[in-house]
Amino acid sequence: MQKLTSLLLGAAVIALSAPVWAEDSSDPIVIPTHNWSSQIVMSNVVGQMFEGMGNSVEYVSTDSQAVYEAVRLGDATLELEVWEGAFGKSFRAAVEKGGIHDVTTHAAITREDWWYPMWTKEACPGLPDYKALNECAAMFVTPETGDKGRFLGGPVDWLKHDQEKVDALGMNFVVVNAGSAAALWAEIAAAEKDKTPIVLFNWTPNFAEAVWPGEFVEFPTWEEGCDVDPAKGPLPDKVFDCGNPANGYLKIAAWDGMKDKWPTAYTTLQKVNFTNAQIAEMAKLVDVDGMEPEDAATAWLEANEAVWKPWTE
Amino acid sequence: MTTNDVVISCKHVWKVFGDRPERLNLTPATTLDDLRATNHIAAVRDVSLEILRGEMLVVMGLSGSGKSTLVRCLARLLDVTSGAVEVEGRDIGKLSEPELIELRRKKMGMVFQSFGLLPHRTALENVAFPLEMRGQDRASRIARARDMLALVGLKGREGYFPRELSGGQQQRVGIARSLAVEPDIWFLDEPFSALDPLIRREMQDEFLRLKGMLAKTVVFITHDFDEALRLADRIAIMKDGAVEQIDTPERIVMAPATPYVAKFTEAIDRTRVVHALALAQPVEGRVIEGEPLPANETLHALARRIVGDSRPLIPLVHKGQIAGLLDRKAALDLLLGPVA
Amino acid sequence: MMTAALGKPPFQLDQRRVAQAILLAALVLVAFRGALPAGLVRLPEAMVVPFADWINAAFAFAQDDLGLMSLTRAFSDAVELCLDVTANLLYGKSRWPNVGPIPWVVIAATAGMAGYALGGLRLALLAAGTFVWIAVMGQWKWAMETLSVIVVSVPFSVIFGLLMGVLAWRYRLAERILNPILNIAQSLPHFAYMIPVVVFIGVGPKAGAIVTIIFSVPPMIRMSLLGLRAVSPEIIESGKMSGTTRWQLMTRVRLPAARTEILIGVNQVIMQSLAMVVLASFIGMPGLGQKLLQLLQALKIGLSVEIGITIVLLAIVLDRMSKAWAMKQPEHVEGETWVQRHRLLTIWLGLVALGFLAAWAHPYFAEVERKQALSMAGPIDVVVGGFIDLVDPVTDWLRWFLITWVLIPLRDAFLWLPTSAVVLALAGIGWRIGGWRSALVCLAFVLPIALSGWWDRAMITAYTVFVSVTLALLIGVPLGLMGAANETRARRFLLVCDTAQTFPSFIYLIPVIMLFGVNDVAVVAAVTVFATVPIVRYTIEGLRNIPPEIVESAQMSGASPGQLLRHVKLPLAVPTLVVGANQSIMFALFMVIIAAFIGTQDLGQEMQRALSSTDVGKGLVLGFAVAFMGLLADHLLLRWARSRNASLGSSQS
Repeated sequence: MQKLTSLLLGAAVIALSAPVWAEDSSDPIVIPTHNWSSQIVMSNVVGQMFEGMGNSVEYVSTDSQAVYEAVRLGDATLELEVWEGAFGKSFRAAVEKGGIHDVTTHAAITREDWWYPMWTKEACPGLPDYKALNECAAMFVTPETGDKGRFLGGPVDWLKHDQEKVDALGMNFVVVNAGSAAALWAEIAAAEKDKTPIVLFNWTPNFAEAVWPGEFVEFPTWEEGCDVDPAKGPLPDKVFDCGNPANGYLKIAAWDGMKDKWPTAYTTLQKVNFTNAQIAEMAKLVDVDGMEPEDAATAWLEANEAVWKPWTE
Repeated sequence: MTTNDVVISCKHVWKVFGDRPERLNLTPATTLDDLRATNHIAAVRDVSLEILRGEMLVVMGLSGSGKSTLVRCLARLLDVTSGAVEVEGRDIGKLSEPELIELRRKKMGMVFQSFGLLPHRTALENVAFPLEMRGQDRASRIARARDMLALVGLKGREGYFPRELSGGQQQRVGIARSLAVEPDIWFLDEPFSALDPLIRREMQDEFLRLKGMLAKTVVFITHDFDEALRLADRIAIMKDGAVEQIDTPERIVMAPATPYVAKFTEAIDRTRVVHALALAQPVEGRVIEGEPLPANETLHALARRIVGDSRPLIPLVHKGQIAGLLDRKAALDLLLGPVA
Repeated sequence: MMTAALGKPPFQLDQRRVAQAILLAALVLVAFRGALPAGLVRLPEAMVVPFADWINAAFAFAQDDLGLMSLTRAFSDAVELCLDVTANLLYGKSRWPNVGPIPWVVIAATAGMAGYALGGLRLALLAAGTFVWIAVMGQWKWAMETLSVIVVSVPFSVIFGLLMGVLAWRYRLAERILNPILNIAQSLPHFAYMIPVVVFIGVGPKAGAIVTIIFSVPPMIRMSLLGLRAVSPEIIESGKMSGTTRWQLMTRVRLPAARTEILIGVNQVIMQSLAMVVLASFIGMPGLGQKLLQLLQALKIGLSVEIGITIVLLAIVLDRMSKAWAMKQPEHVEGETWVQRHRLLTIWLGLVALGFLAAWAHPYFAEVERKQALSMAGPIDVVVGGFIDLVDPVTDWLRWFLITWVLIPLRDAFLWLPTSAVVLALAGIGWRIGGWRSALVCLAFVLPIALSGWWDRAMITAYTVFVSVTLALLIGVPLGLMGAANETRARRFLLVCDTAQTFPSFIYLIPVIMLFGVNDVAVVAAVTVFATVPIVRYTIEGLRNIPPEIVESAQMSGASPGQLLRHVKLPLAVPTLVVGANQSIMFALFMVIIAAFIGTQDLGQEMQRALSSTDVGKGLVLGFAVAFMGLLADHLLLRWARSRNASLGSSQS
C-alpha cells in the first residue's frame, strides 16, 4: 500500500515536473501573418500568450498560400487560420509532402462564397438562388464589365476559383479581383450609400455581417472532389460546378518539429480554440475601431482573460 | 667601349598591331604597305639601337611616329612582336612575371605625360607607392618619399592630393615617384608636354639639375626638337615607326641623314647646338698663338669673342689641352650666314 | 519572304520596301480577321509550348537531384547570421550579440555626422532630420527592420557585383555571357525574382534580403565593368612600372582609380535595394514595406502617407549621401594632433557618447513608445476625405469616361488583333528600323510570348503600358518644354525628376489609391505618373543639349520662338526624347506588374497568383514575357534613336 502510494506520488511528481524539464527552446516561435485582420490579430493574441509564457515570438508576413510550404520546412512554426475553402487544398498538399500536421480545429464554422448585402435582395427577389442571381446579372453591370455583371472577388492570392465557377455554371458575370479585403469593405460601403446592388466575395467569421446584414448565394451543394472530378456536382462534365463548403473547418496547423522544440507552447496550442463571435470581435477591433493589430490583440487578451487563461495552464 | 656599358639594346624590334601579328614574317624589307594589306599597323619598325650607361637618349618624333610605343617596348609595358629588347644583357621578353616585376622594382622608373598619379593617394603616398609595392616598411618608405618630394621642391605639399596640385607640381610628384626606388634606368615619356611653355622650361632646368645629381641612364621621349637638342646626349629621330637617324645633336644638325631629319633642323639656330670643337681642324704642328677659347661651348655662347677675334684659326682648349683650331670663317658663316 | 530576303545580300534590299510589304501583310491579316483560320487569330492550344513545365522540371532537378537546396540554404544561413547581428543592433531582436537596440538618438546623430562629412550642413540636417522624424512618428522599429536588411544586402551585392564586374572585365567570354543575362535581369519585374527565392529560401527577412541582393547586383556589375574600363592607361602603366603584381595592380591601382564609377554603382545598389526591400513585403519581409502594404490593404490613407513620407525621406537621404560619397574628392587635412586631424570623428564620438547618456537619462531618447508617437494620420484622413468628396464628381466622371470611352475600347481592340498580325507587324517595324537583323530580334522577343500561351494577358499589359505611356507623353513633353524654358528652371525640374526617380515604385500607389480608389483608372494613373518622370527629364535634356550655335543661327534666320521650337529644337531633341520614352516604357512595365496589387487582369495578376502558389515555372515565364516586351521596345526605340542621331550627325544620345 505504502509502496503504491509512493509510486503514485512519484508518478505525480514526474507528471507535474515534466513540463519543467522539457523546456522550450529559446529560439523564437515564428508566427506567419496574412492580409486579413482576424488572422493578424489572432496571431498576435496567440503570440502574446506565448510571450507571457516566456517564449520569444516573431511575426512574419507571408503569402497565405505559400505559408504551408514555409511551415512544412520549419521556416514558420504554425498557422492559426487554415480555412477549408480557401486553403484546404494547399494544406492537404503540404500534409502529404510531410513536415506539417493538423493540431486542432476551432469551434468556428467557416464559409466563404459569393455574398450580397440585404438591399441587393430587394432588387433581385429570387435570391439567394444562384440562377436567380444570374437572371439579375444586368443589375450588376459596371463600366469595366460591359454587358455582364460584376462579381467582386477577393485578392488574387486567395486563389478563389470564382472564374472557374462562372465558366462551369455559365454565369453571366465577370470576376474583378479587389486588391485587398479592405477594398471589399470599401466597395460595400460605397454601394450602401445609394443601395446599389452588389455581389462580392465574403466569408464568415468576420465583422462585416454585424455591419451589413446579408446572405451567401446558394450554389449547388459542395461535394468532396467537386473541384477535381467532373462527375461530382450537378453538371457531369464540369469541375467547380458547386458552391464552397457551407460549414467548412477552421484549423490550426503546425510544423512537425514544434512539439519537440517548444513542447509547452505546443501543449497550449492544442487547447487554442476560437468561436465565430470571438474571431469577428478580433477583426472588428482592427477593421472598425482602427487599432493596430498588436494593440488589438492586447486589448482582446485583457478583455477575455477567462477564455485564454486556462489554455496556458 | 665594351658591351658591358650597353644598358639597353634593341635588336630588330617590331611592334605591330592587328589580328595575331605574331604570325607575320617580319624582315627589314617589310614595308608599311605590306602590313596595311593584311590590316596590320606597325607602330615600331625594325628598330635597332643601343643605349649606354649614363647616357641620355632622347627619342624624338611627331605624334604617331611610334616613339611612345618604343619606350613601352623597352619597359615591356608592351610585348614586342618580333626582335628583342635586352636590358643589361637579358632579353626582357623572356623574363617571367616575377622577374619582370623585380626588374621594375629595382631598376626602372618611368614618368608619364599626364602624370599617371593615383588620384586617391596623397603626393607622399604616391611617391611611396613603388616602395610599398616592393614591401618596404612604412616608416622607411615614408621617410624616403619625404626626401624625394623635398628633392623635387615639394616640401610642405606631402599631404596634398594630386587634384589639389598644379600640373607642374603633379609632374614633380611623378618624377619623385619614378626616382623613389633609385632606378638605374629612367624612362620619361613626354614628361613636359602637358605643361604650359613657361613651366616646361622651368621643369627642363629642374630635370637637368636632377640628372646632373643622379647618374642614370635616361630614355626621354619628346615631340619637341628644341627640347631634344637641349637635353640630349644622343637623339633618335623616328618616323613611321622607324629610326631615321640616331646621333649626337650636333651631328644631327650638321649632317642630317635623311631629308626628313633635315627638315627638322632647318628652322633650328645651329649656333646654339654646335660646339666650337665641331668646326675645329687638327693642330697638325701649327703654331698656337694667343688665348684659346673653350672647346665645348656652343658657337652661340662664343659668338662675341669669335667676331672680335682676328685670327683665322682660333685655338680651342678642352680640359687644359689644346683640342684643335677653330676655322673662324666657317664659324662666322654659321653665326652670320654665308657672305652673299 | 524571309528566305527570299536572306538569299540575297541584305544590303541590296530596299529596307523601306520590304518593311512596307510586311506591314501591308499584317494589315491584310487585320482587315480579313473574320475570314482568318482560328489558328492565325490565336495560337491553337496544342501549339502552346509548356515552358513553365520545363522550368519547373529544371528547378525540381536542381532542387532535389543537384542538391542546390542545401547550397542555397547554406548561403541563406550566412546571410541570416549577418541579419541577426544588424537586427539586434538596430531594433533589439534577441540575437547575438544581444547589445542592441542602439538608441535612436545615437543613430540619428551618426546619420547627421555622416551627412555632414559627405555633403555639408544641409545633408547633415536632412539625414538627422529624417531619423528624428522616423523616431518621433513611432516608426522606428519598422524603419530599422527595413534598414537592417539593406545594411546586410548592400555589401553582399556590392561584393558580388564587383567580383562579377572584374570577371567580365578580365575575360571577354564572361562578359559575353553576362551581357544578355544582365539585359534580361534588368528588365525582369520584381515579382519574377521573388518566386524562386520563396522556393529555395522561404519567406521572411532572410528571403527579403536575398531577393534584394539578387535584384540589386546587375547595376553593380555594369558600373564596375565601366569603371575598370575607364581607368586611364597611364595610371595602369605607372602602376606596372611601380612593380605591382597583378593582385596589387587590381586592388591598389585599378579599383581605387575606378572609385567614382564603383561608388555610383553602390548608389544604384542602395536605391535598387530600397525599392526591392519595400516590395519584398509580399514575401514576408517585415518593416516599412510590410506596414505600407497592410495599411494600403486596409485603405488607411493617413497612416500610409506617413509611412510613404518616411520611405521617400529615406530614399532621398540614402541617394544624396551615396552620391555625395561617389562625387567626394579627396582633400588634405592639416593638423598636428590626432584630434585636429580627425575633427569630425571626434565630434561624432562625442555625440554618440552624449546620445547614450541621453538615452540612459530618459527612455524617450532610447525608444519612442507608440503611445508617445506623434501622428498626423487623423488630419490627413480628414483633409483627404474632404478633398475626395470635393473632387469625387470629377474623378467619378473621369473614371467613367476613361473606362467606357478609352480603356475598354482600347483593351478590346488590343485583344481583338490577331496574334499573327501583331507578330508580323512587329517584324515589319523591326525591318523598317534596323533591317532584317532587327526583324529577327523582334521575332525572337515576340514569338516566345505567343508560344507561352499568355498572349491575352500580355496584350492587356501592352495596352496598359500603351495608354499610360501615351498619357505620360501628353503630360511629360509639355512639362519638359516648360521646364527647359530657362536654365534655373531646367535645373529645378531635373532635381525634382531625379528625386522622384529615387522613390521606390510602390510609393506611387499611395496617391492614386487615395484619389481613384482601387480600380483600372488607379492602375493607369499610377503607371502614368511613374512613366512621366523620365519623359520630362529627357525632354529637358534633349532641348538643353542642342548646340547653342544651331539655335543662334536659327534665331539669326529670323525664326520666331514657335518656329524655333517646331522646326529646330523639337526635331533635334526627338532622339533624346525617344530614349526617354524607352525608359518610360520600362518604368511602365515594372509599375504595371506592381499595380497588380490594386487589381489588374494582366500578366501582373497572374504573376501574383504564381507567387501565391509558388509556381516558379509560371512566374518565370510571365517574368520573361514582361522582360521580352521591354527589350523589344528597347531594341526598336534605341535603334531608331541611334540611326536618327547618326543621320543628324550629332553625338548626343
